[in-house]
Amino acid sequence: MRLLPYGPRAVLAEFDTLGEVISTASAWRAAHLPGVVDIVPAARTVLVVHDGRFDTTSLFAAVALVEPDERRHITIDVLYNGADLAAVAAAAGLTTAGVVELHSSAVYTVAFCGFMPGFAYLVGLPAALHLPRRATPRTRVPVGSVAVAAEFTGVYPRESPGGWHLLGTADAVLWDDAATPPALLAPGTTVRFRQR
Amino acid sequence: MIRVVNWGIAGSVVGAGRSGLAWLGQSRGGAVDLPSLSLANRLVGNSELTVGIETCGGLVLTFDTPTLLALTGAVADVQVTGGPPVGWGSPMVLPAGAFLRVGRLIEGARLYVAVRGGLTAFADELLVGADPLTAAAAQPAARSVRRTTLRIWPGPRLDWADGNAWATLTSSAFAVTATSRVGLRLGGPVLHRVRHGELPSEGMVEGAIQLPPDGQPIIMLADHPTTGGYPVIAVVGPADVPDAAQAAVGESLRFIAAR
Repeated sequence: MRLLPYGPRAVLAEFDTLGEVISTASAWRAAHLPGVVDIVPAARTVLVVHDGRFDTTSLFAAVALVEPDERRHITIDVLYNGADLAAVAAAAGLTTAGVVELHSSAVYTVAFCGFMPGFAYLVGLPAALHLPRRATPRTRVPVGSVAVAAEFTGVYPRESPGGWHLLGTADAVLWDDAATPPALLAPGTTVRFRQR
Repeated sequence: MIRVVNWGIAGSVVGAGRSGLAWLGQSRGGAVDLPSLSLANRLVGNSELTVGIETCGGLVLTFDTPTLLALTGAVADVQVTGGPPVGWGSPMVLPAGAFLRVGRLIEGARLYVAVRGGLTAFADELLVGADPLTAAAAQPAARSVRRTTLRIWPGPRLDWADGNAWATLTSSAFAVTATSRVGLRLGGPVLHRVRHGELPSEGMVEGAIQLPPDGQPIIMLADHPTTGGYPVIAVVGPADVPDAAQAAVGESLRFIAAR
């Protein structure tokens, strides 16, 4: 772990692997470090936002000492009717049923969120389904679309443009301003998809 | 009730926003220049975090009932018909039937309107909340001078720019070429990158200064994406972010090392 400067109210911790990012971000969140305002995991880094009086060296101790909270587990029902299901099957050398079987049998973990409120990047996608993003992004991906790109799978919390391959549709509510936390899928949450 | 005849440029109701949700993909949102919204609220006797209106000019309101309001942030050409004139930072009651027209912004990039009791928006109708009763309207405020030299700290990816970048950043003038709730685009001497390509996306804060491949920096504001792939080479201190938010297109900004 390397700590990089980020002004008077933040510090950026850099790691070699996404696995370290996920476990460290979970540990720091569980530690409820006084003065810490937000802990933002990303692909290789964890941004720690604080109140300006936080001693950043305490992050080293918190990695070692704290076990993550009991992880939340979510099951999301999916209608596998996505516009790219056949294309993904062809690219992966599978039948569409084979793609559904692979996607719905894995256990995923939310690595980080971004792109839009409540959009979670889930890792754990079987290697056969790792595909580059679409050459041309869609201008309109429907709300609830379940999609894959590179090593990630995810669900679109609302309609937006997007370049991921669409496998199906979920009607789960991914973002609810009135809920605590407002996102269904927070970093560290484990997820399964169930065919319906 | 207040009717919005015209929201003008980028007009919307805003509060303080919500901090602490960047880990779920949501940046703070809320007033881009939060101290100005807070001041407007204090002037009308509201709590500082009460919802008000943010506009970049062109806002037109009309009032069904007598309404105590105050304007802060940018200085604008403001006209009232059917009521007394409203100056910057001076709480004023507009009678029922009055029209408030916020024209072109003369100084600054964002103007704030606070209304005693706060606002809830239903499309173009703004419901005024109950009178807080806890505080009287304040005396008119004096306008403080806005900083155009912003204090910066080194960012996590300063080493993606060449060895002269910090010196260039802290010794040159940069012109604002675009501003929005997401960020401020600057034009000036090109800051050269020594590392190319994109970073794996990483977390950002308000005030982060990103360096895209064209070498022209971008300062992140309230609606910034929570993560980004351009290297962050420096950070504007939180105290100076509202000044960045008030810098209008064409205005010149400078940076100084914070310590």
